[in-house]
Amino acid sequence: MPALPLAAELRAHPELAGRPFAVAAGPGPRAEIVAVSPEAMRAGVRPFGTVVHARAACAALEVRVLSPALEQAARAALLDVALGASPRAEPAPPGAGVFAAEAAVYVDARGVSALFRSEAGFAGALAERARRVGLPACVAVASSRSVARIAARFLAQRAASEARSEPKASGDKDREARSEPTRGFASREASEVIENDADFLAPLPLDLLNPDDALADALSRFGLRRVADLLRLSPRALAARLGPGVLGLLALARGEDCAPPPPVPPDLRLEEASDLEAPLERLEPLGFVLRGLVGRLAERLACRGLAFGDLELALGLEGGGRDARRVGLAAPTLDERVVLRLALLALEAAPPGAAIERVAVASVGRTVGGDQLDFFRPAGPAPAALARTLAELAALVGSGRVGAPALADDHRPDACRMEPFRVPKPREPAPRPAGGTLALRALRPPLPARVRTAGGRPRWLESALANGPVERASGPWRTSGRWWSETERFAFDHFDVATADGWVVRLRLDLVAQRWEIDGVYD
Amino acid sequence: MTTPRSQRSGPSARLEGRSGESLEGLLRELGASVARGGGVALPSGRFPTGLAAIDDALGGGFPRGRVSEVVGPGCCGRTSLALALLARTTARGELGAVVDRADAFDAGSAAAAGVDLERVLWVRPRGVPEALRSVEHVLQAGGFPLVLLDLSSEAGDPRIPGVAWPRLRKAAAATASALVLLGRRRLAGPFADLALELDAARPRFESGPDWLAGFETRVRLVRSRAGPAGTDVAVRWRAA
Repeated sequence: MPALPLAAELRAHPELAGRPFAVAAGPGPRAEIVAVSPEAMRAGVRPFGTVVHARAACAALEVRVLSPALEQAARAALLDVALGASPRAEPAPPGAGVFAAEAAVYVDARGVSALFRSEAGFAGALAERARRVGLPACVAVASSRSVARIAARFLAQRAASEARSEPKASGDKDREARSEPTRGFASREASEVIENDADFLAPLPLDLLNPDDALADALSRFGLRRVADLLRLSPRALAARLGPGVLGLLALARGEDCAPPPPVPPDLRLEEASDLEAPLERLEPLGFVLRGLVGRLAERLACRGLAFGDLELALGLEGGGRDARRVGLAAPTLDERVVLRLALLALEAAPPGAAIERVAVASVGRTVGGDQLDFFRPAGPAPAALARTLAELAALVGSGRVGAPALADDHRPDACRMEPFRVPKPREPAPRPAGGTLALRALRPPLPARVRTAGGRPRWLESALANGPVERASGPWRTSGRWWSETERFAFDHFDVATADGWVVRLRLDLVAQRWEIDGVYD
Repeated sequence: MTTPRSQRSGPSARLEGRSGESLEGLLRELGASVARGGGVALPSGRFPTGLAAIDDALGGGFPRGRVSEVVGPGCCGRTSLALALLARTTARGELGAVVDRADAFDAGSAAAAGVDLERVLWVRPRGVPEALRSVEHVLQAGGFPLVLLDLSSEAGDPRIPGVAWPRLRKAAAATASALVLLGRRRLAGPFADLALELDAARPRFESGPDWLAGFETRVRLVRSRAGPAGTDVAVRWRAA
């Protein structure tokens, strides 16, 4: 990817495609322009000038401030595209000099013919996948990393010069001729397979090998312009005249690069971030920002065959503060609407304490696995349908309010917890329950009651539910625990009480708080 | 492709002749890997509760793919009936869902009733619209043959928009799930294929010392598309 700042902005703001825009190193009219779109180049804007000069050249120019967050996300997205096609991929070292804005990824293409029919198919598929996530990448396949990188640079330069030389649209006829606006880099011929490294490298200009300034100057003075020129000379003579640094350039020119890309354990935590142009105080506009971030994250997860796990939301606040929160998902999902809704619900429930200057969302990708069902046992819901349903339910009622009930190892009354729901393994049918067991309905929270007692037993009850004389009562049964904790200790005396108005309730005396409550109804 | 008789061997060769003797011989040869009779009980069209009197009155249990109602005053036994139904369903290895608008589901009570809690999806919506949409989501997911919607609240029953019932009925039919509504009064009207009304229960206390031994109540079948209504049975519930 030749111009990372441009690609990062276009990925986050696709509405900029086809328009003249530039990326500046910082805010303000004196900031240096670091990258210019082809439309702006055609209008006369050049990099390394100031914003003032750029606007003078093109009145319609839109200037964006360089965003390290967007660049980081674009680099990560490029790696995700690569990892979606091959398990062995790693980021390339950053470029230098004129290629400082370049972002590259090395992908081991061994064995890909089985999936993509040919290396050309593999390269084309990579380029297409990158384009789909908003990255105009060029892909080259060669026998070594250095040759592949040089070839990709060559493709990018060729595409950029073609894009710059395209005539400006001047009317409907021109618009019809183009099926889509120029995105700065022509998407055609974005991939190539190098069959013979030496034949490919020979006619290329030495600039593509990115020699440092001093070496480039020396090579130019000696009249060495192409790789073939360099290879014709003796290495000893070159080193004697130009210094030992030229030997590295010679190795590049020969395509010498022995080390294969090591297997990189894929980092399943993917993050997208955005620095806001102006602090946001209300949550409604934040929804638009979150939608873009979640959408881009979903594209990257889909590239790698993963789904959203729990969402990590990190907000940079005005004044240097930070608001980090985790939004749990009941099940992995690729449904962006559900993830977005959960994030917004979390923000609405506990709004941040200051205006928001930066937003980052991250998720550890999880696989939506399949289950081996039993041919002869009742089938549960399909895993994908269940995952989607659980995520939708969590978005509807709250992530802590849907799951499987489980008894807690606790003597506290109503000691139960909610666990993530997973379809249990099929098993032999259990013995039939005897049936006819009396059930209790819990009252959450317990209902306050006023009780008159005689001999330590309730005789009269007043509450929002049961009222009147107590006809029969059994108890007390005492439960207590956590005596070592000042805040968590509990002690209750429970009674089963039947009142004259027909209610049969579980009444308790909270011995710590010294109050009566109804915590259940027998039904 | 056929094999000449002279080349047949093994069990297939012995099936010729009188079929009874050949079959017996085959069974002897196969030995313990084959058992007579029995078979996996595949889900039928009804969900039994395990309470013989009620199951007989319902013609086998609550119908699949239909909406049923269980209604009655505060302490009548409808929750006990619902948990018995859930326990039988999960014991068969099937899943159940409890959409608990009242937030009254007690896991300890359910476990005592024999419910396999691992096979229960518990949803705790905060209001009626969330509850209805939750039910729709669960029904549309499929794989939950029994869905209990607990609308009853000690504060009284909610108002349900009339358009909800045909949608829920259709969703239940589409996935062959039994949707059972719990409330203090009937809400689904003609969209419920089956409705049970429970009378206020009479608690049974036993002495020495006093303890709540259980309930006694009467259950009436007030609506049934499958047959005549009006059956009235007595049911006893015992404390866990």
